[in-house]
Amino acid sequence: MAAVLVDHATVVYPSGVKAVEGLSMCVRHGEIFGLLGLNGAGKTSAIKMLATLLRPTAGRVRILGLDTMERPAEIKRRIGVVPQENNLDTYLDVRQNLAFHCRYAGLAKKDYTPRVEEWLALLGLEGKATESVLRLSGGTKRKAMLAKAFLTEPELLILDEPTAGLDPDVRALLWDKVGEFRRNGGTVFLSTHYLEEAERLCDRIGILHGGRLVAEGTVADLARWAGRDASERGGVEAAFRRAVGGCS
Amino acid sequence: MKFLLALLHRNAAADLAAFKLTAVRMLVQPAVYLFVFGYVVGGMLPAQGGGYARIMAPGIVAISVVTGPFVTIGGGVISGYYFRTMEEWLLAPVPLRTLLAALVFNGLCYGLAGGTVVAALVWAILGLAPQNVGYMVLTATAGALLFSLFTLVVLLVPETPDKGQEVFSFLMMPMTFFGCTFYSYDMLGAPFNYLALLLPTTYIAEGLRAAYSPDSPHMEAGTVLAGLSLAAAVLIPLADWAFRRRFRDFTW
Repeated sequence: MAAVLVDHATVVYPSGVKAVEGLSMCVRHGEIFGLLGLNGAGKTSAIKMLATLLRPTAGRVRILGLDTMERPAEIKRRIGVVPQENNLDTYLDVRQNLAFHCRYAGLAKKDYTPRVEEWLALLGLEGKATESVLRLSGGTKRKAMLAKAFLTEPELLILDEPTAGLDPDVRALLWDKVGEFRRNGGTVFLSTHYLEEAERLCDRIGILHGGRLVAEGTVADLARWAGRDASERGGVEAAFRRAVGGCS
Repeated sequence: MKFLLALLHRNAAADLAAFKLTAVRMLVQPAVYLFVFGYVVGGMLPAQGGGYARIMAPGIVAISVVTGPFVTIGGGVISGYYFRTMEEWLLAPVPLRTLLAALVFNGLCYGLAGGTVVAALVWAILGLAPQNVGYMVLTATAGALLFSLFTLVVLLVPETPDKGQEVFSFLMMPMTFFGCTFYSYDMLGAPFNYLALLLPTTYIAEGLRAAYSPDSPHMEAGTVLAGLSLAAAVLIPLADWAFRRRFRDFTW
């Protein structure tokens, strides 16, 4: 069974803008799937659709075998999401943000308290735990967002530009945790602007352009599609340039 | 229920973090109102059925009951829009209607808490206590519930809640001043007495007035309950529709 199954999904906003058009893709359990695209390509709309925040106007989306239209609450219980923009609660401090995230998910205090402390320590946030998120730097806010996604021990991580604004060492730490998550059987769906990062980390990559999936496959598949030798580095970049028609 | 309590705890934690602001909002503002209009001005003005303070004090409790939901729900929705906390709540593994219920439950709790604080101030400053506590609790609960729903409708029907906030400010002034908070319905002449019947604040203030001073002029209990029920019959489906329409697809 696929972890993510998108079948001819289209998203049209009330304004009439068609953000995603006829998108079909399948992400297998235990895979890291990367979605690439220019700004406005439809990546965030696609990710919101997977996270059940947007309903497909046409087509179907199944997450962990569940239809997003029929069982959104159950899906949300089993996924961890890092949206593109921070959604930390500005009235709370960092520790409270993590704790309330767990409480909203229905976790008991005895279960979430050690996890919160563990993630605060892991991301070097112990010294910031009682600070209001309003006073945090962009990178620190992003770390807290990442911690939230892992805290509820999801089966599928959905990450929208997770490393944007992060220092190289925090990026390395994130990818380390993502790798560990995958080794433990988790599935990862991410969007990124970093082509080299996608090439290095993702099992398969999709390239979205104008709301349509114009190329999809392994790094080697994409390199061949772009007319490059599959063993050469830079195949994803070449495929990306071909997919977006030189717009990059 | 867990989610409802988690959100209530979150609001309490947020208010505790802004303790001074919360204290000013919940204690100092109503205390000044009661002291000036009830104790000072109220002592100077004669009014039918007792002093003006007796007429006005339940109205101040009513104002507190209806503004509590706006502060908590409105604050949550507006910061949810500007700081994207609404997205965090929408990602919680609960049905959309549970989130709606949690917000309304929070508004209800804050409305009742505000009403209780002001009722205590009324007793401390003016020496007035409700004669019919059951009727007071019923009216205040209905009032807090209605204004929780009303807040959601006003903030969520426009495309963005910042526009709704302007509409709310525009509506609250006439609702307060024409809604029998500073005088009793009995004191109103035509055509304002007809206009007042359209405002839910009228039934809340008059219900509280009856609970405080059964001997003073006030609206009949049947009319109060009919008005509150009619408002609930309109606002419950409207709030449900506005909430689901806005958040089934999260586009903020």
